[in-house]
Amino acid sequence: MTRLTDLPPTQAKRLAELECPDFETRPWVTGPALSQRRVAIVSSAGLVVRGEMPFRGRDPDYRVISAATKAEDLLISHISINFDRTGFQEDRNVVFPLDRLNDLANEDVIGSVAATHYSFMGATDPVQMEPHARELAGRLKRDRVDAVILPPV
Amino acid sequence: MSALGHYIEEEGIATVAISLIRPQTENTEPPRALWVPFELGRPFGPPSDPAFQKRVILAALRLLEREDGPVLIENFPEDDPRAQPDPAWQPPFIPTAVSAGPAETLASRLETEILLLIDAHEHWIGQHGRTTVGLSGLSVSDCARYVADWLHGRVPPSLRDGFSAPLMLRFAVDDVKAYCLEAAAAGPAKPSSRQLGDWFWSGTGAGAAIHALRAAQLASEDDRLKLIAGNFMVPAARVRSAG
Repeated sequence: MTRLTDLPPTQAKRLAELECPDFETRPWVTGPALSQRRVAIVSSAGLVVRGEMPFRGRDPDYRVISAATKAEDLLISHISINFDRTGFQEDRNVVFPLDRLNDLANEDVIGSVAATHYSFMGATDPVQMEPHARELAGRLKRDRVDAVILPPV
Repeated sequence: MSALGHYIEEEGIATVAISLIRPQTENTEPPRALWVPFELGRPFGPPSDPAFQKRVILAALRLLEREDGPVLIENFPEDDPRAQPDPAWQPPFIPTAVSAGPAETLASRLETEILLLIDAHEHWIGQHGRTTVGLSGLSVSDCARYVADWLHGRVPPSLRDGFSAPLMLRFAVDDVKAYCLEAAAAGPAKPSSRQLGDWFWSGTGAGAAIHALRAAQLASEDDRLKLIAGNFMVPAARVRSAG
């Protein structure tokens, strides 16, 4: 088990006290039962498809990851090196649980899996990401997505 | 990340975040989040454990059916079984570990170790069907050569469009690390990340070379290089104190 107390004190303090925007709203969207939802992954692990441009520094945009992307073609280009990468090296589902979503869809626990998934690089200032995230919401709607899971790294 | 939950939910799509750092999530107050007690880098817990991973993702997705928010922040109750060390794990054989020495020696040692680990790395690929080496776009031996050039005091030009030389160096270092750590994890044992990190940073010439590279570039007059070397080569928990 690893918690903040297991990290070097300066890193733990920095992570716990990271500034975040002061949100004025408390959005809350309801929807159908899980068995009817279409689910997409929007990661903040700095994921890229092999051969495409990795995240450079704190790029605020996102990368597109087709559901057909092979496991061997998914790479992490997050700027931070202060997290474990060996779990992802062995199994992408540790970070990007596409196979698990497919399992849940095959078992009719969820309705379906989105055709396309996405990744930001989470060390970027959220304010810089905002316009990209709002534009991404439009893409998700066009794919009829009504549930998004947001894994960090 | 929790801030994305605000933006996407404001646009009309329900979201649930996985939280690795609970205080951060409590500050951000996303619509829904599941805090997991796993190490950074493993939001869905243990690798190669589909049943466990499924319990995590389902616990998160079930929050979408709750009606008692916002804000919902729940805890996942299980620890990651793969966080424990595996006493059966043995690191790959590397003769005469080198932990320090002149930069030229470490550069040569780095290139030699890449060759020594070829069989173990091929074993890894056979086991898992993939490698995460590839950010630089170079072969791992070219990555090692590129890093070695820097250790020799040269400043080789970037080998990829869109990368500055310092960024090229950073991704070459990333690929060397990925290659060595994958090679080290080949086989039936299930080493923890700490076991693998201890071996790489304290028991290999490659780790020693990256330590030396960081130390040398911290003295650079190029602020960008200094920033990359200081923060994006050796994990904070592995940085050696000066002296």
